[in-house]
Amino acid sequence: MTRTQQSGRLTATRRTFLADVGMGCAGLALGSMLRDDGLVRADAPAGGAVPNGNPHFVPKAKSVIWIFLSGGYSQLETFDPKPALNRLAGKTYAETDVENPQKSPLFLQRSRSVVGIDREVYSKIFPLQVGYQKHGEAGVEVSDWLPNLATCVDDIALVRSMYTTDNDHAAEFQMHHGRHALDEQQPVIGSWIHYGLGSLNDNLPQFVFLGQFKDSRVKQNFAPDYLGPQHAGIQLSLDPANPLPFAARGANVLAGEQRAELEFIQELNGLAAVEYPDDEKLRARIKSYELAYRMQMSVPAALDLASETQETQQLYGLDNPATEIYGRRLLAARRLAERGVRFTLAYLSDYGEWDSHQDLKNLHAKSCGRIDKPVAGLLKDLKRRGLWDDTLVVFCTEFGRTPAVQDGKLAPAATGRDHHPHGFTVWLAGAGIKRGVVHGATDELGFHAVEHPHYVTDIHATVLHLLGLDPRRLDIPGRKRLEIDYGKPIEQILA
Amino acid sequence: MVRFCSILILTSAFQSQLAAAETVDFGRDIKPFLKERCYACHGAVKQKAGLRLDTVAALKRGGDGGPAVDAEPAGSLIIERVTAADATLRMPPEGLPLTAPQIELLTEWIRQGAPLPATDEPDQDPQEHWAFRRIERSALPAASRRQNENPIDAFLGADHQRRRLAVVAPADRSVLLRRVTLGLTGLPPTRGELHAFLADDSENAYDKVVERLLAGPSYGERWGRHWMDIWRYSDWYGRRAVPDVMNSYAQIWRWRDWIVQSLNKDKGYDRMVVEMLAADEIAPDDAEAIVATGFVVRNWYKWNYDVWMKDLVEHTGKAFLGLTFNCAQCHDHKYDPISQEDYFRFRAFFEPLELRHDRVPGEPDPGAFKKYVYAESYGPIASGMVRIFDEKLDAQTFMFAGGDARNKMPGKPPVAPGAPAALGGERLKVEPVTLSSTSWYPGLRPFIQQEEISRAEVAVNAAESVFAKAKQLLATAEQQLAEVERRKQATPAQGVAGAAGPPSAEELSKAQAALEDARLTFRVDETQVLAARTQALAINSRIAADRARYSDPATQEGANQICIVAGKAERLAAMLTASVQLARAERAAVAARRAAPASDKAKADLAAAEQQLVAAQTAFQTAGAAFASASDQYAPLSPQYPKQSTGRRSALARWIVSRENPLAARVAVNHLWLRHFGAPLVETTFNFGRNGKPPTHPELLDWLAAEFIDSGWSMKHLHRLIVTSQAYRRKSGPVAASDPNLVIDPDNRSLWRFNVQRMEGEEIRDGVLAASEQLDRAMGGADIDSKLGLSSRRRSLYYTHHGEEKMEFLNLFDGANPADCYRRAETVVPQQALAMVNSEFSLRQSRLLARRLWDRVQQDSALSANQDEAFVIAAFEQILTRSPSAEMKTAAVKFLKKQAAEFRALDPKQLASSPAAGEIGPSGDPDQRARENLIHALFNHNEFVTIR
Repeated sequence: MTRTQQSGRLTATRRTFLADVGMGCAGLALGSMLRDDGLVRADAPAGGAVPNGNPHFVPKAKSVIWIFLSGGYSQLETFDPKPALNRLAGKTYAETDVENPQKSPLFLQRSRSVVGIDREVYSKIFPLQVGYQKHGEAGVEVSDWLPNLATCVDDIALVRSMYTTDNDHAAEFQMHHGRHALDEQQPVIGSWIHYGLGSLNDNLPQFVFLGQFKDSRVKQNFAPDYLGPQHAGIQLSLDPANPLPFAARGANVLAGEQRAELEFIQELNGLAAVEYPDDEKLRARIKSYELAYRMQMSVPAALDLASETQETQQLYGLDNPATEIYGRRLLAARRLAERGVRFTLAYLSDYGEWDSHQDLKNLHAKSCGRIDKPVAGLLKDLKRRGLWDDTLVVFCTEFGRTPAVQDGKLAPAATGRDHHPHGFTVWLAGAGIKRGVVHGATDELGFHAVEHPHYVTDIHATVLHLLGLDPRRLDIPGRKRLEIDYGKPIEQILA
Repeated sequence: MVRFCSILILTSAFQSQLAAAETVDFGRDIKPFLKERCYACHGAVKQKAGLRLDTVAALKRGGDGGPAVDAEPAGSLIIERVTAADATLRMPPEGLPLTAPQIELLTEWIRQGAPLPATDEPDQDPQEHWAFRRIERSALPAASRRQNENPIDAFLGADHQRRRLAVVAPADRSVLLRRVTLGLTGLPPTRGELHAFLADDSENAYDKVVERLLAGPSYGERWGRHWMDIWRYSDWYGRRAVPDVMNSYAQIWRWRDWIVQSLNKDKGYDRMVVEMLAADEIAPDDAEAIVATGFVVRNWYKWNYDVWMKDLVEHTGKAFLGLTFNCAQCHDHKYDPISQEDYFRFRAFFEPLELRHDRVPGEPDPGAFKKYVYAESYGPIASGMVRIFDEKLDAQTFMFAGGDARNKMPGKPPVAPGAPAALGGERLKVEPVTLSSTSWYPGLRPFIQQEEISRAEVAVNAAESVFAKAKQLLATAEQQLAEVERRKQATPAQGVAGAAGPPSAEELSKAQAALEDARLTFRVDETQVLAARTQALAINSRIAADRARYSDPATQEGANQICIVAGKAERLAAMLTASVQLARAERAAVAARRAAPASDKAKADLAAAEQQLVAAQTAFQTAGAAFASASDQYAPLSPQYPKQSTGRRSALARWIVSRENPLAARVAVNHLWLRHFGAPLVETTFNFGRNGKPPTHPELLDWLAAEFIDSGWSMKHLHRLIVTSQAYRRKSGPVAASDPNLVIDPDNRSLWRFNVQRMEGEEIRDGVLAASEQLDRAMGGADIDSKLGLSSRRRSLYYTHHGEEKMEFLNLFDGANPADCYRRAETVVPQQALAMVNSEFSLRQSRLLARRLWDRVQQDSALSANQDEAFVIAAFEQILTRSPSAEMKTAAVKFLKKQAAEFRALDPKQLASSPAAGEIGPSGDPDQRARENLIHALFNHNEFVTIR
């Protein structure tokens, strides 16, 4: 071998490497082959039948971008205007002519406290902290703090009648797994999808979490529970040096050195496969090394936001420090969806950011300003790239905020709203979703979800339905699921 | 009418499918879906409305509403109810209605005259369920029993014979050594151990290995981690960032150490269960045993007592009994004879519970346990131990409708603790336990008394040495002032040239102030000595009074007098301490008065100092008044707890591990078996109930369970029995594709070969460290930050592991879910490859090992002929416990040469490295770098993570 050939080997292209490993399969066929062989997946938990990766019926959507705002944004200052609050401001519920929502049977039926105290005590009505205009052909009202998103109302379906059952922040995890903190925990929606559906791109993880947090409880939002760790959300970082745990080559390791070593590993594994021709796990491991190498190459490329045009970057607000962080997350989410990642949880806030017990006016205005442009940018970008019909966008939070002002010892200034599980607003857009509709309603005060009320798992059911999955067919033997876990798709917003 | 229409529609819709209808068979076509949907209420466990649906006879007999089937579908009650349009009348009441084809089958069957199946047997009486019957030692299968045959092989052999399975040959010795060493210790064998074993041709060579492994400390660490999975070990979590302890508790690592040590001592499993549930009742003075109650502590949840109770019921049931009690929280169990009342009776065992902190010798007092107050957070304790005790001796357990604590069942009296009658609960008797005084009042423990006395003595010494300095300071200040005044007295005429002249006014006042300060400090420190001495006296008096009051019957008469003395001494010490504070305040006030004219800030300081002085005076007066009283009250040396415990948990624990309990031994044996063979005898490891899977080898399971009990519940005995069986020692493969075994038993349920397994995450990490000879074998101690997992060298079980934080590396390899892990998963995903290829951990260990092995090869002159080959062999043996095949050796030597040549062809600057602090960079020497690559490749080789 000449010297040129030798150094040629050290700088071999990726294509050569993959060919050299010689596993007899090339390119994209590999992923489906692995699935067909059933090699990459573990045995199903507790011996159930593993889904074969195909949807149960014809899907309308391929990928989901799930935008979550932590802390509970106020339905009253975003998407669910209630002029009655201005009219009745300063009165207690009991002092008004409307039915006292705290006396409604719904009040105790729906909500349940983790701690043994009654925290839903506030009743003095707090006026709207922001104005509203009607927008689009649909004439849907959106708060003045969301001017960019307001231009998209003709594309989205608002659900104004959500409720949940925890009046504290474990409701955040409940939004993702569907159970109250005092009940047995369940896998999160992203994990069910990961478990139920095959991959569209084996070079990328299929359930991604984009976000940063100090409070490690945030991990509950992408925890697979009994489906097993292989169905957990993978946290990708937008730091190009190390986007995925262990995906960057070790410091001081040369690219060619690593490639040559990987070839040798596969050669050894190939020899072991001669010794143990019937060992399926060995074959799976050989393939996992090949996949790992592809992932190491693909993940940084997928997250290379610098390769986007300046115009696109601006569309997401990357040119403005106020919107840059969340703009980057959503731009990355779009790139992942484009490349076939099934479920991206874009955590578009700090943990508890929207929890405005005080000073709601300033805090909500500021937080709205951080997300408004990026979210609108995402919707516009999906439309113009033809991704709209494949990608489902969900925009949600854990609960709403009280129509009453929070005052007393914990909030003496009386300028904010407390947690409110009884009624809040989320929206969906994109694949399979009607455009420009408003579904469901809260009562006159924005307190209880009264018209078409939906528990959080109805959102899960809607998402699964659009992906072509029947949650009942994903059940794991020995793991009891309740009716409420399955939810019901919200038919009225399906296109 | 609506009902009839719907039947007609269904009938016509499915007519075609059943057109060529053969007879509908009740057993084949109908019973399966009735069982799934109806038998929870209308079967062997329960007969709601007097109705059961498990035989045709029973259907015809019907229940309170009359026969369930009539001559025609139209008049049959069962059809009416399953097709009812009104959801409140429709059966089954939960979930979706029966499917249309199911209803059609039922309808057609009735139309055909509801014929009897070949056998119309009722479902088994729940009490007859295999796992609920007493454990009897099964007779060994006579036919296959050879001399000295391991009974495991006798049972499996009979099965093989029956199924016509031919077992495979024994595994190679090196494979077996690796298997058993990893299996018992979680670490691969060393090269020396491999050579010794291969060289030992004595008949009991293998037995000696087994004994060595079982006797070593690593055994407890390996199996400790297994049991930590099952018992849900978790370090504290909740809001660690605050920090705020919400789940589990700080210092719980002592329970982990107890597990490891108990296993190494081969403490009986029965004793371990009893200690985990009730050591505070059965060994109240044994601090080492009491940490075992970490099992109960782990389930603690700050915000909600019901959650603690719920998790205890669920996981006591699953871990020790293989029962899903949790299913009966909201309603009677659908499959097992556990009513909702049984659920709450089980909860009642735990109802009196609370946590407490105990002091540990040589560690600071952790203080009293703080009860939860809304919106208050508190961080983890940093010393002492956490444990349980019965606080509310008359705690009552009420039943909650739907399991929801808000819905206490009205009019329903509280339930007494008890176990389900169908499982022999009547044998369980609760007797209150009287606790020793040192148990309910830890302040009586000699080590606490001794440490308190020593602490007081140290304080006296410290105060005395401070006072000695104050004396000196005073003497110096007096001397200096005298000197200044002497100079003031002296006339200028007496002056000598060069000597200091008369002092300035400033100099004089400074010296006067210094003296004033020194006098005040003298007073403070002198009082402090007095206070410290009195404090020491008070401690001794309190201890004497404690003895008189609680431990020493001879002095009972004088006890009151001694207590009065103790109280006096304590109050005197308090008064003197107040006096010290007063002296300090006076000193501060004097200093402040002196500085006051200087600035506004100094004036404000003076006001504050005057205020503090007044407060100190008041405090002193209060202390003085208290001293004047003649009370016999004094502060105890620790918190005091109830003098009794309810005995509920010890009764429960003894019932669980009694000879009559049908479940405990079966469940435990199944866990041991699973972790040796990679597959359990009972697939549903936490559910031995009627909805679980039956055992693949019931006689073997029962024999092992009986043997386990009769051996004194010795786990080491069972390990020995298992790993010395032929079944354990067989090859795992390969098997020819044409082998008939693969048709008869493709899943190897009968263990005609050994199951290939992947190492657990801990084995992989620890195995890399062991192979590179870097493993730090120190045992026990507080949990280590999991972020240090890949840069430090302790065994994996010692790193922080809880619901929100685990070592990422372990997690990728299916690490234990601390919330629920009765069995580990075994996946192959690309992220595992990334971690093994790219982590600095595997790179660092490879570089270290490459150095070490190369040094050895060079030192051995016998190897000088072919050092590359010698290195390859050493590396294979060290990492994979095997020598390379000829092809592997050739490939590896070729790799070394090629890789080194590639490196040589590069600019040396490219090989140079600049490792971060604490990291070990790759070698700049082309040959050594190639060797590092080889070692790293072997750690990434499938055979490293595989147990054959």
